[in-house]
Amino acid sequence: MKIILNGKEAKCECGETILTVAKREGITIPTLCHHEELAPFASCFICVVEVKGLPRLVPSCSTLVSDNLDVQTHSPRVLASRKVCVELLLSDHCGDCRAPCQVTCPAGIDIPGFISLLAKSTEKEAIKIIKENLPFPASLGRVCPRPCETECRRARVDDAVSICFLKRYIADKDLESPAPYIATPGKSSGKKVAIVGAGPAGLSAAFFLRKEGHAVTVFDAHPEPGGMLRYGIPAYRLPRDILAKEIGLIEKMGVDILLNKRLGKDFTIDKLKKEYDAVFLAIGAQSASDMRVEGEKEGGAISGIAFLEDVALGKKVNIGNEVVVVGGGNTAIDAARTSLRFGAKKVTIMYRRSRDEMPANKVEIEAAEHEGVDIQFLTLPQKMAKDASGVTLTCIKMQLGEPDASGRRKPIPIPGSEFTAHASAVISAIGQGVDTTCLDDEPFDIKLTKWNTLDVNSDTFETNVAGIFAGGDCATGADIAVTATAAGKKAAASIDQYFKGEKITGTPKPYLHSMGKKEEAPQELFEKVEEAPRTGMPELPAKERIKDFAEVETGFTMELARKEAERCLSCGCRSYESCTIRRLALEYKSEPDRFAGAKRHIFVDESNPQIRYEGHKCILCGSCIRVCSEVKKLDALGFVKRGFVAEMKPIFERPWNKSTCDSCLKCVPLCPTGALSLKVTPADEVLMFRAMGVDASKKIPNQ
Amino acid sequence: MAFDMKAVDKIIEEKGKKLSATIPILQAVQKELRYLPIEALEQISKKTETPAAQLYGVATFFAQFRLSPVGKHLIKVCHGTACHVAGAIGISESLGDRLGVPAEGGTTEDKEFTVDSVACLGCCSLAPVVMIDETVYAKLNRQKAAKTIDNFCKCQDKKEDLLGTLAVDKKDLGGKEIVQVLIGLGSCGIASGGKAVFDIFQAANEKFKLGYTLTEVGCIGMCHCEPLVELIARDGTKTFYGYVDGSTAKKILQEHVAQGRPVEKKIIDLEKEGSDEHAFYSKQVRIVLENCGRIDPESIDEYLKVGGYTAWEKVKKGMTPELVIDEIKKSGLRGRGGAGFSTGMKWEFCRKAQGDEKYIVCNADEGDPGAFMDRSVLESDPHRVLEGMIICAHAIGATHGYIYCRAEYPLAVKRLNIAIDQARKKGYLGKHFDIVVKEGAGAFVCGEETALIASIEGKRGMPRVRPPFPAQAGLWGKPTNINNVETFANIPWIVNNGFAAFAKYGTEKSKGSKVFALAGDIKRGGLVEVPMGITLWEIITDIGGGTSSGRPVKAVQLGGPSGGCIPDTLMNTIVDYDAVNATGAIMGSGGMVVMDDRACMVDIAKFFLDFTQNESCGKCTFCRIGTRRMLEILTRITNGEGRKGDIELLEELAAQIKVSSLCGLGQTAPNPVLTTLKYFRSEYEAHINEGRCPAGKCRALIEYTISAERCTGCGACLAICPVKAITGEKKKAHLILESVCTQCGACYQICPVDAIDVK
Repeated sequence: MKIILNGKEAKCECGETILTVAKREGITIPTLCHHEELAPFASCFICVVEVKGLPRLVPSCSTLVSDNLDVQTHSPRVLASRKVCVELLLSDHCGDCRAPCQVTCPAGIDIPGFISLLAKSTEKEAIKIIKENLPFPASLGRVCPRPCETECRRARVDDAVSICFLKRYIADKDLESPAPYIATPGKSSGKKVAIVGAGPAGLSAAFFLRKEGHAVTVFDAHPEPGGMLRYGIPAYRLPRDILAKEIGLIEKMGVDILLNKRLGKDFTIDKLKKEYDAVFLAIGAQSASDMRVEGEKEGGAISGIAFLEDVALGKKVNIGNEVVVVGGGNTAIDAARTSLRFGAKKVTIMYRRSRDEMPANKVEIEAAEHEGVDIQFLTLPQKMAKDASGVTLTCIKMQLGEPDASGRRKPIPIPGSEFTAHASAVISAIGQGVDTTCLDDEPFDIKLTKWNTLDVNSDTFETNVAGIFAGGDCATGADIAVTATAAGKKAAASIDQYFKGEKITGTPKPYLHSMGKKEEAPQELFEKVEEAPRTGMPELPAKERIKDFAEVETGFTMELARKEAERCLSCGCRSYESCTIRRLALEYKSEPDRFAGAKRHIFVDESNPQIRYEGHKCILCGSCIRVCSEVKKLDALGFVKRGFVAEMKPIFERPWNKSTCDSCLKCVPLCPTGALSLKVTPADEVLMFRAMGVDASKKIPNQ
Repeated sequence: MAFDMKAVDKIIEEKGKKLSATIPILQAVQKELRYLPIEALEQISKKTETPAAQLYGVATFFAQFRLSPVGKHLIKVCHGTACHVAGAIGISESLGDRLGVPAEGGTTEDKEFTVDSVACLGCCSLAPVVMIDETVYAKLNRQKAAKTIDNFCKCQDKKEDLLGTLAVDKKDLGGKEIVQVLIGLGSCGIASGGKAVFDIFQAANEKFKLGYTLTEVGCIGMCHCEPLVELIARDGTKTFYGYVDGSTAKKILQEHVAQGRPVEKKIIDLEKEGSDEHAFYSKQVRIVLENCGRIDPESIDEYLKVGGYTAWEKVKKGMTPELVIDEIKKSGLRGRGGAGFSTGMKWEFCRKAQGDEKYIVCNADEGDPGAFMDRSVLESDPHRVLEGMIICAHAIGATHGYIYCRAEYPLAVKRLNIAIDQARKKGYLGKHFDIVVKEGAGAFVCGEETALIASIEGKRGMPRVRPPFPAQAGLWGKPTNINNVETFANIPWIVNNGFAAFAKYGTEKSKGSKVFALAGDIKRGGLVEVPMGITLWEIITDIGGGTSSGRPVKAVQLGGPSGGCIPDTLMNTIVDYDAVNATGAIMGSGGMVVMDDRACMVDIAKFFLDFTQNESCGKCTFCRIGTRRMLEILTRITNGEGRKGDIELLEELAAQIKVSSLCGLGQTAPNPVLTTLKYFRSEYEAHINEGRCPAGKCRALIEYTISAERCTGCGACLAICPVKAITGEKKKAHLILESVCTQCGACYQICPVDAIDVK
């Protein structure tokens, strides 16, 4: 007997299914409910195929062949059906593929993984998992504004886990150890890449390109590497030696860093292009924006970043006793706190909106106030005048109106509320831009955006000039360090593709199912979690710390770190790698929200010592029920109810361990989603992949 | 443990330990204990071959089974199509208010009542109805529903004195003496109060020695005139009375039975041209319903008297199986369950299939909300179905037969069992072929052959892939032929009268007659049997007399949840499988629900999707989740929250569900949405784009006001308003307080002068 399979004849025998024949012919038809050892069930309908002459699609897993059957396994009709099939299943599937913290982290660090490894006392493994995505965890562990913690589900119980402090703890322990972890450089590829800028984006790209075996040279205008981490962030937040040590580890991988080399003055991209196989521009956004205040120039306003840089360079800076800082970002806070440490007696921050709109980190704002900085909200300087006694500022009070394009409420001056203030120095920290003048002398035009940033493809980090890539603040405008680090990693992936002559696609985005934002996650998830308060970070007393630039936050002890690590809920799915529905969602480009509606409720049964059952992830393929009944003859599991609310449950809906289950574990690998999983921790997962020789950094999502 | 486990053991003993005994055991235990305690389930799984997980799966699959205790009295509110159109939601709300339970159902604090919704009680022409325990209460509205509870409570306290002060002084009437009284006691007759009428005639007969034989008969189809009473005099004169209530019954006894003076006002004359009843009958043919309402369904002798079992005798005497099959094939009979496959061909497949044992199944699981043809036939003429099955068994060589009957039809089950007993005694059943009644447990999907088979085998009613078809491998893997009640009921007539007589009726590809349950906004609702080829318009206007409201017909729903809404512009469509299919609807099993211009087509589509998604077995992705998503989209449209693109989303889902579902339920579930979209798309658009329900039905989109000019201040609306949103003095125009009004529509329905406007 023969059938026609996608236009080609295929021999087959009576009694065989279309799926069997297709498999033999090397055609992959996706399945969810089908398993060779079980009788065909035909419930998921992902395996449908088109048979010529039939109006309906048929499930290939259970449709028997007949002579000359004309079958299409991947026709447009079939693909459309599979797409909707996956969308429907996802619309009723409740779970997070990856933990929300990891998904929120721009660098995509496997946070539950490293925390779980820490809880297991395997810090050496933990640093490796962190460095698969982030080359400077000790530095970022101190300065990162922690977007991850804003989405930490633990906050639904009490407070977010101190993710960042734990990362810092692990990294500090590593740096203090006799042989800190150095990522292994790849086998030499023979390709050379030049990186301009030794900030977080540039050094991150260097780190990841080295891992791929490419020769990397980094050029930087400053006398020391680190970019804004070194020249924008005061030492009391990020001690210089910590940053230096982490950069040192990158250098030990074989990265050359050439200092005091300024683009446009000491070298050109054109020259680099000739000497190297690719160029990555990571020149940052280090020019201060004007306040646009009358008398700004004559009044002698100091730029915030210039001030911080001068301090970092050890230059003498004269600011006097009464400092006014204008702005509401982290630079404003850093400038204010640095001013205190420079002996200013009175430091005032003027910000034109209210506390809620302030872009600086909440903890930093509080720390500044704690140290005695006075923040005047809804205050806008309008005029500056300098005389012998200092600067006189004419200010006006503001009120908030309707939200503007940024979503923040727009400040509107209150007529007649003008007042004057006096200062020995005025520091302006209202924003930064990219200094693109360094590109002026190049023979080609690198395209810029209307915001005067480098115009790059947001997926691949390519500029308009082949072989020149760019990323970090120079492409996005001033942003946080972890975003720049992530850009460096992603650009490295594109450059690697470029070197290999592959199509440059950037880092592929995996399908990530989610239970939504922190506040949207179902309450049932948290009901059984016992409260345990967040572990506070030990710090120097405020009075003492403003005397010098000693680090304020002194770090977790081992005891504190372990205690905090225990608080992690280990969100995310342990079946991430094996999940079929996730793979199909990507393959069929399914949009999970198209059919959003009611979902199955949260149900977790962990009564079996080895198996975890999460009913909310079940897609009702019945594989577990059937293997238990057909193969094991135990009937420990069954379908309960019917229709949309039907579920898989152990006998009489009692706990799993009260059923006839003998823990043979045959059901677990048959589960196409994570509804049934072995009771492993994220740490077990990491170690398992490690043992299998899988580089998880290739698998972990980046945004 | 609050119950007697010995009773459970006894039931297991009786029913046996096989898997196929699972559902009968559960039904018997629930009958005994009123619910299924988990301890009883444990005991059953221990003592039978059914694994606990499967047993529990079955117990939670079927709607009939309850796992928690219920009140002393069970109230089932029918939410079938006709009842929905007639305001079943209001009935549920009213009962909920009266009993202090949520409208969706629940048990009263004193554990007296449990209120529950059911998909259909099969009393569509008396909509809306509720069933308390085993009695149906019909033609309710909000007020009547609450009053029914009051009366029910009173009746529980004291038994009514039936005859009261009635005195009957019977004269000697000679040939005019009444010797037989027939009372229609099908479910509809009972629901309309037939039982009370029967009791009066019975009590009077005993008390006053009136000497007539009292006969319970089934349904003649004129549900709208129930209760029906027929008097037969010694000389053979027949008098037909309709709309008989207690006082009419007494009047008939005093005047007609005693004095020989017929009560003219209540007489129904089927022969009289121009009468409603004549109009109802003149365009009908009677093949399937030949004997309905004419004979006592509990007497085989009466069936024999009208020619019963002569077809079987004829077959037995001289027709080979091949000849029978040939006769049926030539008659052109197609499956009356809805799909319309040639019955003769189906029999032939099963005849030719290899197997040491073969089965036949009569599908009497009439799950379509809005249909009650099968119930009426089984209640009124059960032997006819048995005879059809016996002939079929001969034709295909089957030894065992099952009748899979809805548990919601207790009277049909009772009469079938009586009939089977009688047929065994007469030797029609027994040695070569026997029939067992299996009660379904409430699952529409069991209308699907493979699900029905699973259910008889004692499993969850989940369909499987075909082929193999049941004709090759059905019940327990043996060749099995499944036909529905009406199909079998046609067989004796065809055998007796010959294929040509049957094929004389109908169109080229659809022969014979079709029975419809005519209900909804229709003046003369009931059971009608029409020749194939008649137009829908003839059925609705000539037979049914048009809408009960006098408003224009907007659409007619054919085929229930698998069918569709045919608009007034296509009323010249003829009753023919292919012609009906061409409209997007299906012939279906015979539910025909007429809707006037106050029916919202989006609401109707939502109603059916609500039904199908509730009835989906949950196996296939597209049906399980897809129908739910369609319902959610329809719900948001009727709630005024429809979004741009919702119509397209519905269309996409509908198309996918149709092609990627295993069984007929899923494959046809989108039809009600597709047909309403096809013919009433602008109504969807008005909901989504303008936030307007053109039919004035969707509560979130409408507003009720009282016209000051038309209002007479009668106070009816004020009295019925459940939320006290209406104010006004007697005889002065009333006013609806917009902020309080819940748009339930009670005032709109009750207003005697149409003074309430909806927009």
